[in-house]
Amino acid sequence: MDRVTSAIILLVSAWALSGQDGKLTADAAKKLKNPIAFTKKSISQGRDTFSRNCVGCHGDNGKALIDAVADATDLTDPKAYRDGATDGEIFRSIRDGAGASMPSFKSQIDKDEDLWNLVNFIHSLWPPESQPPLQKE
Amino acid sequence: MSKKPSRRNFLRPVGAGAAAAAFLPQAKLSAAPAIPSITIPKDLPDSLSQSPKVGSFEGRGMTGAEIFAKLCKDEDLAALFCCPGNYTVINAIAAAGVPAYGGRSEGSMCAAADGFSRVTGEVTACSGTEGPGFTNMIMNIASANAARTPLLVLASNMELSGDDREKFIQTGYQQPTTTGMKKYGKRLIDPNRVWEYGSYAFRNLKTGIPGPVHLDFPAEVARARFTDAAKLTDYYTKDKYRTESRPQPTRKEVEQAMDMINKAERPMIVAGQGVFQRKAWDQLKIAAERNEFAVVTTGPTGGHFPDDHRLSAGVAHDATMSADLVVFIGQYSMPGRGEYHFSPDAKTIRVHPVAEDIGRNWPIELGIVGDEKGFLEILANEIPRKKRDAWVAELASARAKTEKRDLDHYELGLKHSAATNRIHPAVMAKEVHDFLYKGDIDPKQTVTGVGGWTTGIFAGRWMRANRPGQSVACAYQYGAIGPDMAMMIGASAAVQRGVGPQAPYKGAPSLVVTSDAGVAYSMFEFDTAAKYKIPLVVVVYNNNSWGMWPAAVGSARSMHMYLFQENLRYDKMAEGLGARGEYVQTPEELRAALKRSYQIAAKENISTLINVQALKDFTNGAAYAPGIALPWEPGVGSFAH
Repeated sequence: MDRVTSAIILLVSAWALSGQDGKLTADAAKKLKNPIAFTKKSISQGRDTFSRNCVGCHGDNGKALIDAVADATDLTDPKAYRDGATDGEIFRSIRDGAGASMPSFKSQIDKDEDLWNLVNFIHSLWPPESQPPLQKE
Repeated sequence: MSKKPSRRNFLRPVGAGAAAAAFLPQAKLSAAPAIPSITIPKDLPDSLSQSPKVGSFEGRGMTGAEIFAKLCKDEDLAALFCCPGNYTVINAIAAAGVPAYGGRSEGSMCAAADGFSRVTGEVTACSGTEGPGFTNMIMNIASANAARTPLLVLASNMELSGDDREKFIQTGYQQPTTTGMKKYGKRLIDPNRVWEYGSYAFRNLKTGIPGPVHLDFPAEVARARFTDAAKLTDYYTKDKYRTESRPQPTRKEVEQAMDMINKAERPMIVAGQGVFQRKAWDQLKIAAERNEFAVVTTGPTGGHFPDDHRLSAGVAHDATMSADLVVFIGQYSMPGRGEYHFSPDAKTIRVHPVAEDIGRNWPIELGIVGDEKGFLEILANEIPRKKRDAWVAELASARAKTEKRDLDHYELGLKHSAATNRIHPAVMAKEVHDFLYKGDIDPKQTVTGVGGWTTGIFAGRWMRANRPGQSVACAYQYGAIGPDMAMMIGASAAVQRGVGPQAPYKGAPSLVVTSDAGVAYSMFEFDTAAKYKIPLVVVVYNNNSWGMWPAAVGSARSMHMYLFQENLRYDKMAEGLGARGEYVQTPEELRAALKRSYQIAAKENISTLINVQALKDFTNGAAYAPGIALPWEPGVGSFAH
């Protein structure tokens, strides 16, 4: 099964596990796998999406040190993620929103590929021992 | 004859009818005293209609305050906003003929002066009494400093002879207090130098990068008397103590800049506050249309390039990321590279009046020391004519994409509003937008201001500035929550007087969208608006909380600090202060209230507060998508830089 096919299957199954409003359920998110490999190219593309949409609250280093913004998560510390740190859970938090202050970016980042690249970029902010192994292009 | 009024006769007009009503049987049932109406005292219009009276060296001579007031008048000080205190100085400035307004708190008056200046570019002043009145202004002095407003901050400060003795009350070390939030400041310590230091003040206010100037007046200076001008140090006219000369770029630099713009495929001008301050909007438009470069405006004031122009990138978000050349002109508050959404590969030119700031925060390919207007005049006359069809099409496409996203959010908001019988902030913002720009009103007419956190972020996206000085980002750079309403009373006063770019719209109402948290800081200024017949429509997004309440989620014993009583009636409070009140819970009610309020503001100069009842939970993106995302900078709704 090639990567594209597996991605389609995963997304279809995720859709099947979604709630009526199209949002992923917590269980569905946990089961979701990232169809895009953790590569330098993907990280770079995710960085672009991050700089467009995320730095205001999470800062350009992901540490979320700006107190004027309510309680944004320190993205460099996966243990601090309140809604889970698996690939699917991060995907869900970005796409559907999380907690009381993380907005849904569904309309700003409308391609799943961009969301997965962003997930990979967020992994690159983690301590080296927590990051997934870097894949070749 | 007893005139005990009943509820019925209280509601009747005063006069014969009222007297007759006193005979009705019901009158005997109530012993409540008549409650007098809110009225404007006769002394107020009488005072305003008096002719200016300037001091003279003849007879008893001029006081230090009168000499300073003469200088303010000679310098065309546009307006003074104050609370009583610093009496000799404010009275002298008002008597000299400078438009003066007295309000309810020094902080709000400071914000009002800032607002008047933000929509005109003119120098304005605020004043308060010694220690307490002065310190009440602090937040808004800092706000004006962050916005580079040419604001003259005045305060009395007891007596020189009482310094360091805590003599009587209210002495304070004022100048150290404003360190870091002013361009220049001085405690006047020599009466003979009052004119000289006035000229220091206006030299700083009218040249270079503007910013607040703070003068504190001890009684020995304000009340000194002069019968001989020769006793005053440096008593020159303004043409001798300051210059109108501006730095001009070299020919080589301008040619280099034009060459870079011409070679770029997707050039974008960031037209900063300096373009507005220097009133260079016509030159900017001509140059943009000659060469078809894109323009995005920044700064505390919007409209020096119209948001509705085909070359505007105000809502063309993807286009800013696509620009291959960025030209900052008059960007007074410089962002860091990551704070503006430009490609890291885009080349940068910066045109700025002072060399010291060029290269700060943002690396440059070309830095040009020059006056904004001077530079744009050359571009308007000499930049090669060029058609950039692909770039113009990309701008249109990017604009459509952003607008679709905002409409998608509005649709979500409509669903949330229908489900809760409360108004979602995206719905409030879109309704205000449609009323101001899509209805019967000239879309260039109404000056708007936006403040608050949830409120500002949602409403900022939907406000437009289609001509110079049409919009104000009340929280610009300093991020103050609260000055919004007072700031817009000042802006509205400028529109009432038709000052500068407001002249074609003289007398039109203004509108501010603010929050329940924010309005509390300046709501008493409805009294000021009523006194001076300043028509302002104040839309209050009432979500029963500080917008930052999500910060308390998951934190024990914390949430109570972020919440207010629910369903507070700000509209009733406005009525109690002589304004109108409207309370709305549905989009239809809001639409009708906007129409009524605007009409009454236009016809009768009466302000209204529209209490838009919402829920705090609309902030929660997981429950009520989309939730809050910070605005795209630079562009419409920006407030950081």
